[in-house]
Amino acid sequence: MNLKDCHNYKDFRKLAKKKLPSPIFHYIDGAADDEVTYARNTSAFDDVDLVPNVLRGVESVDLSTTIFGKKLDLPFYLAPTALQRLFHYDGERAVGKAAQKFNTMFGVSALATVSVEEISSMIDTPKMFQFYFHKDRGLNDSCLERAKAAKFDVMALTVDTITGGNRERDLRTGFTSPPKLTLASLFSFATKPMWGINYLTKGKFELPHLQDFVKEGTSTNSSIGSYFSTMLDQSMNWKDAEKLCSKWGGHFALKGVMSVEDAKKAVDIGCTGIMVSNHGGRQLDGSRSPFDQLAEIVDAVGDKLDVICEGGIHRGTHMLKALSLGAKACSGGRLYLYALAAAGQAGVERALGLYKSELERDMKLMGCKTIKDLNRNNLRFRR
Amino acid sequence: MNLNDCYNYNDFRKLAKKNLPAPIFHYIDGGSDDETTLKRNTESFLKCDLVPNILASVGEPDLSTNVFGKKIDMPIFLSPVAMQRLFHHEGDKASARAAEKFGTFYSMSTMANSSIEEISNISSGPKMFQIYIHKIKGLTDNLIDRCKSSGFNAMCLTVDTVTAGNRERDHRWGFTTPPKMTLKSILSFMKRPKWTFNYLSHEKFQLSNVVHFTKKGSSIAKGVMEYINEQYDPAMSWRDAEYCIKRWGGPFAIKGVMSVKDAKRAVDIGASAILLSNHGGRQLDGSRAPFDQLPAIAEAVAGKLEIILDGGIRRGTHVLKALSLGATACSFGKGFLFALGAGGQKGVEAILQIMHDEIRRDMILLGCKNIKELSKSNIVFR
Repeated sequence: MNLKDCHNYKDFRKLAKKKLPSPIFHYIDGAADDEVTYARNTSAFDDVDLVPNVLRGVESVDLSTTIFGKKLDLPFYLAPTALQRLFHYDGERAVGKAAQKFNTMFGVSALATVSVEEISSMIDTPKMFQFYFHKDRGLNDSCLERAKAAKFDVMALTVDTITGGNRERDLRTGFTSPPKLTLASLFSFATKPMWGINYLTKGKFELPHLQDFVKEGTSTNSSIGSYFSTMLDQSMNWKDAEKLCSKWGGHFALKGVMSVEDAKKAVDIGCTGIMVSNHGGRQLDGSRSPFDQLAEIVDAVGDKLDVICEGGIHRGTHMLKALSLGAKACSGGRLYLYALAAAGQAGVERALGLYKSELERDMKLMGCKTIKDLNRNNLRFRR
Repeated sequence: MNLNDCYNYNDFRKLAKKNLPAPIFHYIDGGSDDETTLKRNTESFLKCDLVPNILASVGEPDLSTNVFGKKIDMPIFLSPVAMQRLFHHEGDKASARAAEKFGTFYSMSTMANSSIEEISNISSGPKMFQIYIHKIKGLTDNLIDRCKSSGFNAMCLTVDTVTAGNRERDHRWGFTTPPKMTLKSILSFMKRPKWTFNYLSHEKFQLSNVVHFTKKGSSIAKGVMEYINEQYDPAMSWRDAEYCIKRWGGPFAIKGVMSVKDAKRAVDIGASAILLSNHGGRQLDGSRAPFDQLPAIAEAVAGKLEIILDGGIRRGTHVLKALSLGATACSFGKGFLFALGAGGQKGVEAILQIMHDEIRRDMILLGCKNIKELSKSNIVFR
């Protein structure tokens, strides 16, 4: 199996599984507790059906959408994810370049393995910086300033990682970053020699946004869960978010809003967007899926800020359903991470190309020329 | 596989399966008939989702709650389970010690292998006694009075075992207590030599609380189901329940209430709590799951008595969902029994630690500082 055999999300996942040492694959592929929410994030889309309109003259389709004041050529973007160089040695470099090629937004995590400065010098398309509120205020300030200086367009504060989720696959595989070599993990690394060679020879693994401030940034083996629980400020409240929002001074989003009440508060503190997200099912298992919750949120705040539907998206039709309910755009992590692991930049480009052609085809079949044509009349809920 | 590899219920179950002779494992693991109710008890939690609140500045959440007039450190406790000596040679002693360590209720079954007095001597933690009304006169009074003088905090009367459920796995495996030796069962015991050694080399199996009243207590060469049918009084009525409540005079729960009408009746006769339960799916198969029934029960009697949700709980989030819908606390049987089978007291401590950590973590992620903050507004039904 190689990249040419990848025709959808599941194929990329399969190829990624072949290429990655198992602790790393399961870090991407896994979620919290029984992974009930993770499964629901995608199956939620099956509870609603699309109703096409015919004879609409749809020879050309415009997929562009505007979020955070930026026009994107696609109605979805690449959500920030941590540690991308673990998945492919090019990491954020590969993902950023692919995003630029398709003119969509690239989300860079605070736990990225390539610096904001380097990303910024590499691509000139829209960029989002994802921010964790650390106990160390110096670190917070430094992140904000560097992202500002690097001309990032949007700041997204993650609010659903107050403590680490219970990712049992990581507990079983002993996933830490950089990878800890136990007997079991050593075996899994030994069975994927190409990954190992690339990991060791293509530059040192580092977390450039953190390394001046924390040991965890460089060499200490630390799981993501314990990182969240020990490094992040659990007392973070709305005042802190409001201060960050005004300090940043540009487009500011809260990532991980699920309740209507919180969505309204996000408007009040001056956010220009929210990501309706449960962190890909990786935090609170048993929590509601973004797509299930989307309509209520859009009804409450859809005209006041950009509502992004994030999580569970595997298909163009999933995006069309979310956009029809009123999301301004969609985003996803695994959406491109398996592809990154499967084949680096070429993999991500192939994935983005596939989603793009799915969207074009499905828009035509729906009888819609622009994203604005999508609305709730296109949808029927089964129950 | 050992205790360190156990991260959740399923892991403990797997380890218990490795440790226990098959008839005993299946006695814990099985339900009645087609086990549809057993399955639904857990699946029912999946039909609603939690909606977290963010930026709530939770800090360190308070997991404590009040039940049966006692403050407990976490909102889940150990349901009463018969014959725990079969699952680990330390039996009830292991469970009671572990519960005490975590500041939560241990519950003793009438059919326990340790006596009321023995457990009272080794644990000063909160304790509930589960009573069955036996046909033998005097036994009920004797049990109530002994619990009183031994300092038990609460009592519950089980009302869903008027006749025994059809536990087909027990038929197939020839489960009796003490174990009956058929060719198939002998083989299964030989495959678990460590269990068999511990079972034979420690104190004799007996139903310590009733041994003085019935010789059946020391040697039930028949199945549990037959014991239930022979010994328990099927004519038990609300009047008997009321009698027990009066004689006990303290916090008293009716265990196995499912209908709204019966919940109201429990209030009327002066019960301080109900255990909303179908006996872990081991009695009437096809009956409703406690979690499915919870909203209706809470609407009818919340505030008038304490509602304990018993059945199907595997995760901290299940507990949080039940509390959000109006349960005062939860209890589990299989949840700790597999852990007991997996590793004795250490096993039960491990599962309690995991449940504690899950509830704590999930409250933080949900944005709740204490149990009181959990409400219907946290939940959306699909």
